[in-house]
Amino acid sequence: MSNMLEINNLHAGIGETQILNGLDLTVNSGEIHAIMGPNGSGKSTLAQVIAGHADYRVSAGTVSYKGEDLLEYEPEERARRGIFLGFQYPVEIPGVNNAYLLKAALNAKRRHNGLAEIDAFEFLQLARKKMSDLGMDPVFLNRGVNEGFSGGEKKRNEILQMAMLEPELAILDETDSGLDIDALKAVAAGVNALRDPARAIVLVTHYQRLLDYVEPDFVHVLSDGKIARSGDKSLALELEEKGYEWIREAAAG
Amino acid sequence: MNTVVLNQALFEAAVATLPADQLAPVRNRAAVLFSNEGFPSTRDEDWKYTNMSAATTASNDWLSEYRTSATIDVNAQQNQATLQEISAQIDATWLIVRNGVVDSLQLQSLELQHGLTISTLADSLNLPDIAIDTALSAFNAALLEDGIHIRVDADLRIERPLGILLIDDPSLRTSQTRIVIDVGKNASLRVIEVARSAVDGNQFTNAVTQIDLAAGAQVDHLRLQDRGKEHIGTHRLIAEVQAEATFSHNAFDFGGALTRNDVIARIVGSGASVNLHGLYLGSGKQHIDNHTRVEHRVGPAVSKEIYRGILTGQARGVFNGQAIVFEGADGTDANQANHNLLLSDKAEIDTKPELEIYADDVKCSHGATVGQLDEKSLFYLRTRGLDVAEANHLLTRAFAAEILSSLVVEEAHEYVQKLLDARLAELLGDDST
Ligand SMILES: Nc1ncnc2c1ncn2[C@@H]1O[C@H](COP(=O)(O)OP(=O)(O)OP(=O)(O)O)[C@@H](O)[C@H]1O
Ligand SMILES: [Mg+2]
Repeated sequence: MSNMLEINNLHAGIGETQILNGLDLTVNSGEIHAIMGPNGSGKSTLAQVIAGHADYRVSAGTVSYKGEDLLEYEPEERARRGIFLGFQYPVEIPGVNNAYLLKAALNAKRRHNGLAEIDAFEFLQLARKKMSDLGMDPVFLNRGVNEGFSGGEKKRNEILQMAMLEPELAILDETDSGLDIDALKAVAAGVNALRDPARAIVLVTHYQRLLDYVEPDFVHVLSDGKIARSGDKSLALELEEKGYEWIREAAAG
Repeated sequence: MNTVVLNQALFEAAVATLPADQLAPVRNRAAVLFSNEGFPSTRDEDWKYTNMSAATTASNDWLSEYRTSATIDVNAQQNQATLQEISAQIDATWLIVRNGVVDSLQLQSLELQHGLTISTLADSLNLPDIAIDTALSAFNAALLEDGIHIRVDADLRIERPLGILLIDDPSLRTSQTRIVIDVGKNASLRVIEVARSAVDGNQFTNAVTQIDLAAGAQVDHLRLQDRGKEHIGTHRLIAEVQAEATFSHNAFDFGGALTRNDVIARIVGSGASVNLHGLYLGSGKQHIDNHTRVEHRVGPAVSKEIYRGILTGQARGVFNGQAIVFEGADGTDANQANHNLLLSDKAEIDTKPELEIYADDVKCSHGATVGQLDEKSLFYLRTRGLDVAEANHLLTRAFAAEILSSLVVEEAHEYVQKLLDARLAELLGDDST
């Protein structure tokens, strides 16, 4: 078990607004972490900083990924090195074909790893297989990226991308929100299929129901831009019951 | 303001050298008309942003050592190679036109579907009306060595597209091209005009295409302009659309230093339908001006117009879309949109829709937008491992996709996509600001 992601004293914000205030988090390979916390506490900000969004400015602290300084890398470099972010709000890109993007993403990663580009037939086979695992109609391959997709379809599409790219570190930002029961199960199956001693998964979620299907090793509560409490899966149950107020109070001391 | 004027004596001398064929009366009438007006000036509202000084200079140079196009035969081999290259990629019956003059040997060798007739204008058995409705179209007609007349008999569907490869050779500083197409009742024709430069040079090409659609006719017209970097080109398309006829026009402007396109679509019969789609790309100091006018003279009829532009560097675009609904043209449905993507701070677009409605029962809409590449989309693509260049390319391609997908001449689709991709790559690499 090796160190996958190590965040120390991370301070980050956007414009004049400070959002993350000294966040520490260590994720080892093989682990699944759930990050919970009130609206506006900074969960998506953390995810965006890890993915490399340039609007978020890191003012202090470090983020290392597989022992390297992650903040040095451009977003595409991070992706090719194995980081995947499932967006809370996946972007609609009309006119960019879904299959085209999947293939371009896969090939960018393969080139980085010194592999030849995937051939068209092999790609289609793989995409169809992954889609059937996720209960997605293959027609989605020919649509524009997320164009006119329903909320749940967008989330499934994020998981499809993840399944194709097989990241070493996947961060899923509320991929479980807005899903019907079947979609939730499909997403959970997608996450569990990725579970591997060489990979790590960070699930940002508001609900226990995903964690019924994907059992986390650790649960963290993010509050006011830092981790206010960490525990095992029982912490999620406790939160479900008691809400966040007691943690805030405890943090305020 | 234009400081250069055309040398009148040289102009008249040149007109006088042209043969006494059946075009002569038209040339003389056009010469008078042009002499009264001269080249358009930036004081004309329609030419506010587009300066014809360089075109005037090129014309003076041409006239000062006037030679007809027929006497020029440089780059003949290379032109054949271009023809081979394009005909291998677009399945069509190809004609080659050099500096406005059709290669008559090649024309005679073509095997055409019965009922499709192609001749030079000078040789045409039914000389069509040669439109001289503006100074530039008059300049074109006055100095027209010859043109092309294409006719389709009634009730005939011409299966194979007709390709016209227009090659401009800058060894002549100026050239006039005139294509007249008559499509009979319930007949159909697909036409592809591809404009290329033999070699890069600051030549001025002044072209007019006239298309007459009889009742129930259908014409799909593609104009693909992929000329050299220094080229000055004006193109005027006049389509007259009778009852129940359908006219589709797809225009792609990729090359040229200064390009001015005028499209006039005249709906003169009820139940007609007009579709205009244009895509223009500009980088460096390219200047691209599209003026369109859809005249709904009678109703009911439908027109739909979508133009999109992608500009970078210090490129300048102009879009002026006019829709006129005449009195009594009830049941008119006219839509128009112009969307622009500016990839640099110094790129510029002036876009102006103009609706003039004199009928009561009409449905009209128009919209214009100017924007940049969407940052959120760009970031999303990068988090999937695509580098900035690839992501930009995908997004600009997506912006152009609406126009490409409306290209009705299927045979040309792949070729246009390929040119577009190459041109986009060049555009995104432009750092001339
Ligand atoms: N681009 C931005 N401009 C201004 N404020 C921002 C921006 N992005 C985030 N914030 C602010 O930062 C805080 C944290 O936002 P973030 O999206 O990280 O919260 P979150 O924990 O993901 O919330 P939720 O559970 O609602 O998704 C919020 O107060 C938000 O308004
Ligand atoms: Mg969030």
